[in-house]
Order: sequence, then C-alpha cells, then structure tokens
Amino acid sequence: MLPGPFLPQLLSSSLSETDLLAFGSLTSEGSISPAAIIAAIIFILVFISISLRLLHETTAALLGAAVMLLVTYIAGTYYPDLRILNFEQAMLSVDWNVIFLIMGMMIFMAILSDTNVFKWLAYQIFRLGKGNTLLIVVMLITLTGFTSALLNNVTAILLIVPLTIQLSLVLGINPISVVIAEVLASNIGGAATLIGDPPSTIVGSHIGLSFSEYLVHMAPVAVVGMIALLLFNRLQYGKEYSNGKTTLSPVLVDSLAEESSIEDYVTLRKALLVGSLTLLLFFIAEIFSQMPPSVVALAGAAVLIAWVRPDLEHMVHEVDWTTLIFFIGLFVVVGGMEATGAIDWLAVRIQLLAGESLTLAVLLTTWGAGFASAIVDNIPFTVAALPIIDFLTIEIPGAAENGVLYWALILGADFGGNATYIGSAPNIVAVGLLAQAGYRVTFGRFLRDGLPVTVITLLIATMWLLLRY
Amino acid sequence: MGKILCATRGGEESYCTQDEAIALAKEQGDDLIFLYVVDTHFLDKTAAPIMVDVEDELTKMGKFLLLMAVQRAAEQGVKAETICRKGHVRETIKQTAVEIGATLVILGRPCGEESKYDIADLLAFATVIEYDTGIEVKIV
Repeated sequence: MLPGPFLPQLLSSSLSETDLLAFGSLTSEGSISPAAIIAAIIFILVFISISLRLLHETTAALLGAAVMLLVTYIAGTYYPDLRILNFEQAMLSVDWNVIFLIMGMMIFMAILSDTNVFKWLAYQIFRLGKGNTLLIVVMLITLTGFTSALLNNVTAILLIVPLTIQLSLVLGINPISVVIAEVLASNIGGAATLIGDPPSTIVGSHIGLSFSEYLVHMAPVAVVGMIALLLFNRLQYGKEYSNGKTTLSPVLVDSLAEESSIEDYVTLRKALLVGSLTLLLFFIAEIFSQMPPSVVALAGAAVLIAWVRPDLEHMVHEVDWTTLIFFIGLFVVVGGMEATGAIDWLAVRIQLLAGESLTLAVLLTTWGAGFASAIVDNIPFTVAALPIIDFLTIEIPGAAENGVLYWALILGADFGGNATYIGSAPNIVAVGLLAQAGYRVTFGRFLRDGLPVTVITLLIATMWLLLRY
Repeated sequence: MGKILCATRGGEESYCTQDEAIALAKEQGDDLIFLYVVDTHFLDKTAAPIMVDVEDELTKMGKFLLLMAVQRAAEQGVKAETICRKGHVRETIKQTAVEIGATLVILGRPCGEESKYDIADLLAFATVIEYDTGIEVKIV
C-alpha cells in the first residue's frame, strides 16, 4: 500500500450526497446548472477543435479559457447562475508543478540536443550491429524507448527518426517498419517515468507522486510492454529484416558517420554531469520535505544554464512556450468544468456503470482511457479524466488504498495513444517525418502496426493492475 | 543542351521517377538536377514541444536522400547535381525550376499507398507549373 501523502487531499474524506450537491453540479432536483452546461459545451468545442485539428491546440485551449472567463465576468454580472470560474479560481486550477516540470525539462533537452548526442548514439548502434539488421532495429527501438522515458517524446522522435530513416535505406529495409515501432516504443517508454509522457506528468503531479514512487509502480509494466513490442515487431517484420542488404554503400555510411558526430564535447560533458545529478535528485527529492519534481527540473536546468552559458535569447526561443500556454489554457478549461460541477455530474454517471466493483472500475478506466486516447489527444483527455478518477477513487471501496485507478488512467492514456497516428503527438511527428522521406503512412497503415501493440500492451497493463493492486 | 529538374523525396516509390529522369538525361545529353524540398508544415498539426532545429535535421536527411539519388545516377553513367531547399513544396519546385532555367520538370506519378499525392492533384500541379512558367512538365 502507498503512503498517505500519495493520494490527493480530497481522498482523506468521503463525499456524501449533500457534499455533491454543494459542488454546484447538481441542483436539488438533480439537474445540471446552466453554468455547468455552458462549461461543458465550451470544453466539448475545445476538445473537438483539437481532435479534428480545426484549430491549433494552443489556440483552442486558450480560446476556451478566455470564453469561460468572459462568460463569468460579463454574463455572470447579470445572471449569477452563469458564473463558471473567476480569475483566481482559474489560476488555482493550473497545475504549476506540471508547467514548471515541463519547462525545466525543455531547457535541459534544448541544451542536450544541440550536442548531437542522440544521433551519435543511434549511429553507434548501427556500427555495433555490424550489418545485423535485426539487432540494429532492436537496439534502435530500445534506444528510443529508453530516451523517451527520460526526455520529451517528441524531441526524441525528431532526433532519432530522421537518422533511422537513413539507416533503414542504407540497410535496404522499409523505414516504416522501424519508425512506427520507434514511435510505439516512445509512448510505452514514456509511461516508465514521471517525466516521460505528459499524461504521466499530469497524473503524477496531481496525486503528488515522487519520481521513485512513480518508477516503482510503472517501470515494470513499461519494460514488459517494450519486450512485447520487440517480439511483435520481430514477428511482423522479421522476414524483411533478414532480407536486408549485407553490402553497404561506403559513401552513404561515411555520410551518416559525418552527420552523427558529437558537435560539442564540452557542453555534452557538462549536460551529462548535471543530468546525472538531476536524475539522482529526482530519486531522493522526497527526503527534502517532499520537494516537487518541478523544483528538481528547474534547479537542474538553472545550474546547466549557469554552467554552459548558452545564448539566453536563443535559449528562450528554444523553450516551446506554445506547449506551456496550451497546458495552462487546458487546465483552466477543465477547471471551469470542475468549478461548475459538470465533471461531478459526469463522474456520478460513470460510477453508476462501475457500481462498487473496483475490478470493473479498473477495466473501465484502463480500456476507456485507452480507447479515448486512440482517437483523441491523450493530454486533454487525461486532464479532463482526472477529476472523474478523483471522484471514483473516493466512492469505490478499496480504490483509495492504492490509487489503482490513477495507474489505470496513466497506462490507458499512454498505451492507448499508440493505436492510431492521431493518438499522440509523437505519432503525428513521426508520420510527418516519414512523409518527408517519401513514405506516406495512411491511417490504416499505422493502425496495422499500432492497434495490435496497443491491445497487447493494454492487456499487459490490465493484468499488472489486477494482480499488483 | 537542356536542364532536367527532378523533384524527389527519396524512398522506394521515388526510384522509378529517378530512373526515368536519369534515362532521359542520358538519352538527350541533358544536365540532371535532383531537388529535395524541406517542408516542416506537418508540425503545425501539433502543439507538442519542438526544441529541435527541425529544418536542420530534415536538411541533413534531404541531403542524404539526394546523395542516394546521385549514386543511382552514377551507377547508370550519369553525373547529377543536387539542390536542397526549404519551403512549401509546390512553390519551391516552381521557383527553383525558373531560377535554374530548367527545360523540363519531372514529377513522380503516385504509385502504391505510400506515395505522397494522388494523380489528379499532381496533374493539376503540373498544369499550374506549365501555365505559370512555360516549362514543360513530365509526370512519370
């Protein structure tokens, strides 16, 4: 069983029906309030805009947050029933731990990626493989999974995939077979650590998990998932890999070697040292008054900036503010749903489905999150699902003891994103990179590789959750 | 002597287009130039954090794909040159064709599910190039 502080504070008490009414979602007649209806409509519009790519994610989230605040201040002045959330509530609904953790890791990643170390590693794998295509592919997929556990998935994909495409062409194999496996590995590997994937960071931060607590619970299932992915890839493409070229063009190999050299040894050494210390601090942070992971990430980034002394203007440009604003907007939109009680209204209905069965709730959460993440972006889904999981954790007997529904949400959201190419950001980026090399990956083509791996890994996750908790 | 501009992305589906351009250059004694266009607009579809110089990464990949095309030409006894540019694919192809004084632009006919464009789309694009620049376009 996990220690007490692991679970959010609201879990320390159970909500009565009166408490639920007090949330504001349900009127005494059991109907939903006008503010909750408006908040839900705004949220649904944001969600559709993001999922169907009608608007840029950041624009959609920011617009949704702005509309909620405008409705509160303008319409709410005349009709108090239309107040969704005020500015103070909006600021409180943002999980700043997530924002600063992501920002710290972005700074870290920006400095490290400039050294070309990831390409160097990928090329060393190619060199060590000595022309054994299967071995090279296995190591490339593993490298992507491992890198994604420690660093941002999209960045890992952007750095490793272009070189993988080139290596595949040198080896005479179709790059799609390796690149899709790499992107699946990045989503599976991302589930292993608190900083690996946005759903992991969001849920981990929400329930106040330390880096090591998270690792103990999620790393084993991610490792088993990676093994399953490697076996599936071998089964699916083993024949193609065995037909790879044995005589490689020296001109092309030389070109790859030149492209993959370390560009700045001094910065690399500094980044590796600070990175190792930051990782160590992530593990022992809980000793120091439960230091949040965001503080560790920011401290590591600050020390690295002070030591490496990069061009700060360039550094600021490299931090992706668009993503951070997207997260802030999204937290506010979901905060509006929570403040008006729209989330509670939905949670009550979901609880009716699960009844008092924890097993059924685990299955619903894992597969429901998996299915949803396959068709919509898993980040807004996770942020919206969290308050529902809070509610179910309080209401379903046994759920609060080990937080199993939170683990189910993480695994469902992380692994479910693998089913389709719109399921998560790394998928979209990898498909775009393949198209740049002349390889078009259709929805069906991605599904052919992604769906079986998703089903297998969700089955593994389900077994892990039911047996372990 | 003419100048053939062959727009290519690399990949197996491009090999037949490259071979056709190589054969034409050999037959007519024309200069052959392979063009790769770096287009990062696919990143607009996501708000995911991009902390990498994507253009730089794709330029490296593009140069590698062009190197493969040059090797392919050399194997068939043709010396080819390369150009790697950044921008919207269609605009850049048209612009480059005018800039280098191309006499023929070769575009690859879509084949198989992995090809990038559908044929109607490509034919329309070819017509636009011919209309706007007066340069002959061949879809192979």
